[in-house]
Amino acid sequence: MALLEVKGITKRFGGLVALNDISFSVEEGELRGLIGPNGAGKSVMFKIIAGFYRPNQGQIVYQGEDITSQGASAVAERGLVRTFQETTLFQEFTVYENVLVGCHLHARSNLFTALFRTDKDRQKAVVTKTSEVLEFMGLTDRKDQLALNLPLGSQRALAVAIALAAEPKLLLLDEPFAGMNPEETFQMMDLVRKVQESGVTIILVEHDMKAVMGLCEKLMVLNFGQLLATGSPKEIRSNNRVIEAYLGSV
Amino acid sequence: MINKRTSKALGLIALFAFLIVLPFTLKFHQQDFLIFLIINILVVVSYRLMTLTGEWSLIHVVLMGVGAYSSALLAKKLGLSFWLTMPLSGIICTLVAFLFSFPLFRMKQFYFLIGSFAAGEAIRLSWVYFKVPFGGPKGLRYIPSPKFTFPGLKEAIEIWEPIPYYFLTLTVVTLCLWILYRLENSRIGLTLHSIHWRDVLAESVGINIWRYKTLAFGVASFFVGIAGALLAHYLGTINPNQFAVGIMVYVLIWVIVGGTATFAGPIIGVTVLSIVNEWFRAFEIWRPLIYGCILIISIMFLPEGLESLPSKLRGVINRLLGKEEIEVNVPERMEKEEEVF
Amino acid sequence: MEVVFQTCVNALVASGFFALTAVGLVLIFGVMGIINFAHGELFMVGAYSVWYLYSISGWPFFLAVVGALVIVAVIGLLMERGLFRPMRNNPLGGLINSIGVLFILQVVAVKVGGLGLMKHVPPAFPGVVQIIEGVVLSKQRLVALIVSAVLLLFIWLFLTRTKLGWALRATAQDREAAALQGISINRISMLAMGLGAGVAGVAGALMAPLTRVQPYMGHSVIIAAFIVTIVGGLGSLSGAILAAVLYAFFHTFVTTYFGGIIATILGLLIMLVVLIIKPTGLMGTQTTE
Repeated sequence: MALLEVKGITKRFGGLVALNDISFSVEEGELRGLIGPNGAGKSVMFKIIAGFYRPNQGQIVYQGEDITSQGASAVAERGLVRTFQETTLFQEFTVYENVLVGCHLHARSNLFTALFRTDKDRQKAVVTKTSEVLEFMGLTDRKDQLALNLPLGSQRALAVAIALAAEPKLLLLDEPFAGMNPEETFQMMDLVRKVQESGVTIILVEHDMKAVMGLCEKLMVLNFGQLLATGSPKEIRSNNRVIEAYLGSV
Repeated sequence: MINKRTSKALGLIALFAFLIVLPFTLKFHQQDFLIFLIINILVVVSYRLMTLTGEWSLIHVVLMGVGAYSSALLAKKLGLSFWLTMPLSGIICTLVAFLFSFPLFRMKQFYFLIGSFAAGEAIRLSWVYFKVPFGGPKGLRYIPSPKFTFPGLKEAIEIWEPIPYYFLTLTVVTLCLWILYRLENSRIGLTLHSIHWRDVLAESVGINIWRYKTLAFGVASFFVGIAGALLAHYLGTINPNQFAVGIMVYVLIWVIVGGTATFAGPIIGVTVLSIVNEWFRAFEIWRPLIYGCILIISIMFLPEGLESLPSKLRGVINRLLGKEEIEVNVPERMEKEEEVF
Repeated sequence: MEVVFQTCVNALVASGFFALTAVGLVLIFGVMGIINFAHGELFMVGAYSVWYLYSISGWPFFLAVVGALVIVAVIGLLMERGLFRPMRNNPLGGLINSIGVLFILQVVAVKVGGLGLMKHVPPAFPGVVQIIEGVVLSKQRLVALIVSAVLLLFIWLFLTRTKLGWALRATAQDREAAALQGISINRISMLAMGLGAGVAGVAGALMAPLTRVQPYMGHSVIIAAFIVTIVGGLGSLSGAILAAVLYAFFHTFVTTYFGGIIATILGLLIMLVVLIIKPTGLMGTQTTE
C-alpha cells in the first residue's frame, strides 16, 4: 500500500482551474520531486494534501485513511507535515524555541500540568528531542540565536528542523532551495538526503533543477494544473512535452 | 554581582513594598482610583491572553458584567459568602464563554468582532430588559461586602472601606496575575505565542488552533469574571451601563496602546492611560476625545504599543552610537499574516 | 386592525432610514474593506447640522439637509484621507481608527450642542396625512420617506448607469484588478467614503425633526446598521436594502407589541444566527477560500 495516494484532485478558484484531475501515489521511503513552471499549481497541491485547502473533487488517502476533509493540525497529528514557500519561521523566537514548538505533538500540556508542572519527565524528553533535531540539522551552535538573525541557509534548515520535530512520516518540502547560492544549495541537498535516510518520505516542490535532478529518484511535472509526465530525471529531461512546457512559459 | 534573577526578585519586592505603603499616602478618591486600576489590570491582562490567539473580541467587558451580576446575585439571593461567589462567578463566566465560543469561533476575523459585539450587547440588553432578576436599567443594589472571620473573633469584619478592600483586591489580583504569568511561561504559553506570531506554521506541526482559542477564551473569561465580582462587591451597586461598549473600547485602547507582545504591555497601557485620565479629570468633557486621539496616534505611529518603546529606544541609541542595526522584521501585530492563501 | 396598518406605515418610514445608513456602511466596507464604527456618529452629525442650520440659523429645511450632506461628506473625506487610507491593508487598524473618530465626534457634539444635551428640532412640515381611517402619517415622515427613496434611486442609477459608478463597483469586487485597469483607487475610495458618509448624514438630517438630537444617538443607529448589513450581506447593496426593509418591519412590529429593547435583543440574536449559518448574508456572494 502506498503511503500517499492522490486520487482525482480538482481545485477551482472561481473560474480558474488550478488543478485538474491530478492522481499519483508515493511509496514509503521515496524522495519524489514535483516540478513545473510558475503557477502550475504545485503549492496548491501541497496545501490540499496538508489540509490547508479543500479540493473541489477527489481524495487524499494517507496510510490507507481518507484525510481529504481533515484540517492541517489533524493531518500533522498523523505524521504529514509541510514546510512553507517563503521562509516561515517563528522569527521572534530563538532557534531552540522554534524547534521546541515543533515538538508540540509530544509535549502537549493541559491546563493542570502547565500550571503545576507535573509532567517534568515528558518535558525533559522533549528537551532531549529538541537537542537531537538541532544536532541532526547542524544548528546546535546557533540554538540561542533569534531566527530572524540567521543566514538564509540556516533559516531553511531551521524550517526543516521544525517540521522534523513533529516526527513526520511524510514531509512536504515547498521550495527549500529558493534564493540559495550554490554552496547553500549543496548543504541543503545533503540535509535533505540525510532526512530521507532517516526514514522520512519526502515530496519536494522545487524550481532549482540541479537540486531536483540530483536528489529525486522520481519526478512529476505539473503544468497549468495538469500532470504532464512522471518518470526518472533522465526520462523527464528528454520528454518533449516537458521541454515544451518550460520553453513555452519563458 | 547581582544576576538577572536576583534583580528581578528585588524589583518585585520593591514594587510590593511601594504598593503596600501607597494607599496610606493617598486621598480618598485616589484610593478608589487605585482599586479600580488594579481591577482593570486583571481585565486587560486576561484580555491579552485572548488576543494572543488572534481573537479580538468585543464581549470581554460584558463578561466582566456577567461575573459582577453572578457574584452579586449569588450573594444576595443565595446568601453565599463572597469567598464562594467570587470563584463561582469566574466559573459561570467560563461557561458562558464556552457557550458562545462554539458559534463565535466559526466566524472569521471581523465577523467574529461583530458577532462578539452582538452577543455581548444582547446579554447586556437582557440585564436592562429583565427587571427580575437583574434589576433592569437601575441594576442591582445593596450587594453585600466581603466578610472576614477567623476563630476567636466575635463579629466578622466587613471589608468595604477603601484601604482594606484595596488589600483584598491587591491580593486576589496578584494571585490571578501569578497564575496567568505561570501560564504564559509554560508549554501552553509557548503554544499560544506560536499561534500569535505564525498561526499557519503552528498548525503545520499539529497545533489545533481552535482548541487553543477556546482555552484562551475560557481562561480569559474566568479571570475577567473575578474582576467583575471584585468590582460589584466594592461598589455595592451595579447597572448595565457600567459594562457598555464604551468601556470595552477603553479596554481596547489600554491594550493597544500598551502592546500585546509581552505580559507587562497591557499593564503599562492601563496604568499610564489611567493616570493620564486622572490628570484630565478637570477636563471631564474632553476625555473621550483625548482617548480617541491617543487611540488613533497609537495605531498610526506606535502600533506595537508602549511596551516596544524600550527596544525602539535602544535601536535609536544604537544607531546614534553607530552600532550596526539588526533588521527586525517583526510583522505588524494587527495585520493578519497574509499567507500564500 | 388599524394598529397593524399604522405599524406597517411606520415600518415603511423606518426602512428608509435603515436603508440609507446601511447603504453607506456597505459602500465604505465594499470599497475600502473597513468597518466604519463611527457611522452612527456621522448620522448624528447630520442631525446636528440640521439642528444648527435649520432651527438655529433659519435655513430652509431642504437646504439644511443639503448642508448636512456636505458637512458629513467632508468629514468622511477627511477620515478617508487621514485615517483609512494609511490603513488600507490593515482593516483592524482602520476599525480602531474609526472608534477613535467615534469618540472625537461625540465630544465635539457635546461641545457644540452645549450642556442641555437633547435638542429639539421643530418639524418643517407640520400636520398629518390621513391614509385610511385611523392610520396617519405625519407629513414630516412622508417627506423623509420620499427623500430616502429618491436618494436610494439616485445611488442605484449612479452605480449601475454611470462610468464612475461602474468603476466603484469594480473596485469593490476586486481592488487589484481595478487598479490594473487604470482605476484610481484613491479617487474611488474618496468617492465611496464621501458618498457613504454623506448618505448617513442625510439620514440623520431627515431624522432630526422626528427625534431628540443628542450626542449619543448614533449608538442605536450603528447597531441597526450592523444588523442590516450583516443580514443583507456585507458586500451587497441590494442585500442591504432588502434587509433594511425586512428589519424595519421586524423591529417596528416587535417594538409596537413588545417594546424596543426586546426588538433590539432579538435583532442581535438574528444577526448572530446569520453570522453562524451564512455569514455572507442573504445576498452576499460566497468568496472562495
